[in-house]
Amino acid sequence: MAGSFFRRFNRNKVLLLMVLPGALWFLFFSYLPLFGTIAAFKEYRFRGGFWNSLINSKFVGWDNFKFLFNTDAAFTITRNTLLYNIAFIFLGLVFSVGLAILLSELVNKRLAKLYQTSMFLPYFLSWVIVGYFAFSFLSMDRGLLNHILGYFGVDSMQWYSDPTYWPYILIFVYLWKSIGYSSVVYLASILGIDRSLYEAAMIDGASKLQQVRNITLPLLKPIIIIMTLLAVGKIFYADFGLFYNVPRDSGTLYSVTNVIDTYVYRGFKVTGEIGMSTAAGLYQSVVGFVLVMVSNFAVRKLDKDSALF
Amino acid sequence: MSKLKKRAGLALAATTALSVVLSGCGGNNNEASGSGSGSGSEKPVELIWYTIGTPQKDVDTVMAEVSKYTQEKINATIKMKMIDWGDYQQKMQVLVASGEPMDILFTSAGGFDYVQNARKGAFLELDELLDKYGQGIKDTIDPGFLSGSKVDGHNYGIPANKELPQLEVWRFNKNLVDKYQLDTSGIRTLESLEPLLKTIKEKESEVTPFGMDKNFVPYVPYDYLVTNMPMAVKLDGSDMKVVNILETDEMKSALETMHKYYMAGYIAPEAATTGSTSDLTTSGKWLLDRAQTQPLAENLWSASYGYPVTTTPASDAIITNTSVQGSIMAISANSEHPEKAMEFLNLLNTDPVLRNMVDSGIEGTHYEKIDDLHIKNLDASQNYNMPSYSLGNNMLLYLNEGDPDDKWDQFKKFNSEGKASPILGFNFDSTKVATEMTAVQNVKEQFWASLMTGTVDPATFLPKAIDEFKKAGMDKVIAEAQSQLDAWVAANK
Repeated sequence: MAGSFFRRFNRNKVLLLMVLPGALWFLFFSYLPLFGTIAAFKEYRFRGGFWNSLINSKFVGWDNFKFLFNTDAAFTITRNTLLYNIAFIFLGLVFSVGLAILLSELVNKRLAKLYQTSMFLPYFLSWVIVGYFAFSFLSMDRGLLNHILGYFGVDSMQWYSDPTYWPYILIFVYLWKSIGYSSVVYLASILGIDRSLYEAAMIDGASKLQQVRNITLPLLKPIIIIMTLLAVGKIFYADFGLFYNVPRDSGTLYSVTNVIDTYVYRGFKVTGEIGMSTAAGLYQSVVGFVLVMVSNFAVRKLDKDSALF
Repeated sequence: MSKLKKRAGLALAATTALSVVLSGCGGNNNEASGSGSGSGSEKPVELIWYTIGTPQKDVDTVMAEVSKYTQEKINATIKMKMIDWGDYQQKMQVLVASGEPMDILFTSAGGFDYVQNARKGAFLELDELLDKYGQGIKDTIDPGFLSGSKVDGHNYGIPANKELPQLEVWRFNKNLVDKYQLDTSGIRTLESLEPLLKTIKEKESEVTPFGMDKNFVPYVPYDYLVTNMPMAVKLDGSDMKVVNILETDEMKSALETMHKYYMAGYIAPEAATTGSTSDLTTSGKWLLDRAQTQPLAENLWSASYGYPVTTTPASDAIITNTSVQGSIMAISANSEHPEKAMEFLNLLNTDPVLRNMVDSGIEGTHYEKIDDLHIKNLDASQNYNMPSYSLGNNMLLYLNEGDPDDKWDQFKKFNSEGKASPILGFNFDSTKVATEMTAVQNVKEQFWASLMTGTVDPATFLPKAIDEFKKAGMDKVIAEAQSQLDAWVAANK
């Protein structure tokens, strides 16, 4: 047994070496910190190093979790986090798959590369910068949008104090920033589809639309399911940068911009309780884990081959 | 199946190996500490000093020079680590929580909260050390600082001797004041600003009459229990009752005035989300704003903006917890050499040679002396440009070119004229209501900036905010604060 292990190890050592950085990363940043989860049940106080402090801090049971559920805000932030993420997952999927299909059908490949690159670029911008981009459009006195509205004789809007339009603005900004990146994944798998399938379909007289519906989409299904399952696992994590920087932390917009992550951040600016922020993180992970298991289970019931595990 | 077990076994082995390595490190540390305190009398001790400010190129060079001096005086060398302004709070939080070796660290009401971290056990309690090695500190710095920075009756840090009270002023852009011959002599209240703002609004359409960012809060004669939280006590000390500041008549009328100013266009439309007004001060396109002052502050402001700035008071000079805890050096609870650290802090706050070296660098390299009191910065000073306020006793510092000889006497006079807030020395412990504080903080962020800058109408938003605060558990927080305050008052009679 041992011999066979080493033989296999030897045979795959190059591949294993390639896995090593990623494996180490997960070990250090995902598995080792798991022990720190204990902090969620402690009133963390400093005493020597981290482990010492952790062990010596008072055990408080579920007290650290109370702040997430005790107030009216709990409903708002859970609702906002869930609804935005559902919108992001759904619209993100539709737009990035659509975009990938359009790009793959472009005859001029150089132009396709140009489009792809320019849509990919916003992904690399930090949310702080995106926040200022949005501000240059939405500023009350100097914003582009109010100038355009003024041109049509519409009064200037106080964008940063009126929550009405923010769900749309946030979703738009999110899609603008992210679909370029996610469409690359789909584009790559579309390009991997055997061209002879399309040729056969064309000989049979299938239109472009029929080709997409009967060849591209069915073959994309596994990757769509995987990407969606992964996104579902993060459904309780909101993109902090988006919800904090783009609305410029404007208080009057909180009813539609406050999500779990921003709520936790704002709350701990004052109390700085490590235990309570760990509790919030643990809660998000556990719910995410449960959701992934449930949706994977559902997928397996429907189509065994497409499930993640 | 067996494949899976193998892998799990490997992972387990790796984890075990790693934890051995980790605990090995811990063990070494302990050993080092043992030998350090045992035979420390012969070998010089290295003190690790964390402080706030943009890291400077020449820190190590200057500290080498400082170490020569301190080795001679107290047999200790200094290793200074600077952390930039914006990162200080967060990085220190992690460094302290993970038990990083350090001896001395900067803390204040604003950056790496002094009271909170003292209570969480980040700092060493200094009462005994202060008696033993800190006599110089007790003799030199204003006693108001030491008594005001006590947490639950104990000292956890050495405050920097500087301006003690907090005095709010209206600052005026003198160019505009002169141009329109505005009369600033009668200005003190928020209401008294109106004619000036009106004139500028009418005559200078490009100018923002009333400059402010999202942190602006109209002055009301109350002292806040926690910086920027709505629980406050009346400054005249008449009733020692904790109230929600939004429910007071003073704040209500101030907010109405602010809203009137906002609607009249005296305030920038985006004030509630603006992080800084430096674009206004750089361009000079503002008439007035409010700031905290210290003696000779007008000179500093005028010099840094490049045009004259004048001020008139907007409040009394009050000594508050926040003003006392503006800059503190604490000794880490993890320090391996607390006695030496205390000796060093004592020297830093009493010895002009050391204090000036830490502040201005090496004579002849970073600065040169003009006369006994004054120095001039040399070009190399930009490689060692330290925030003076954060590093210890300010009154030992050389004066800059152009400073009057009696600068520090003016500071002493200013300090002696400050009135103590009735809750000076009382520090609210929010542990019991941490859940409510988180919710209250969120409500505060939701309403605060837009109310304070006048962006929204207090007639509709004030009742709404008060109601939301109640729902978040404000009453429980206030009741807890009140009972702590009552106990404190009884104990300090």
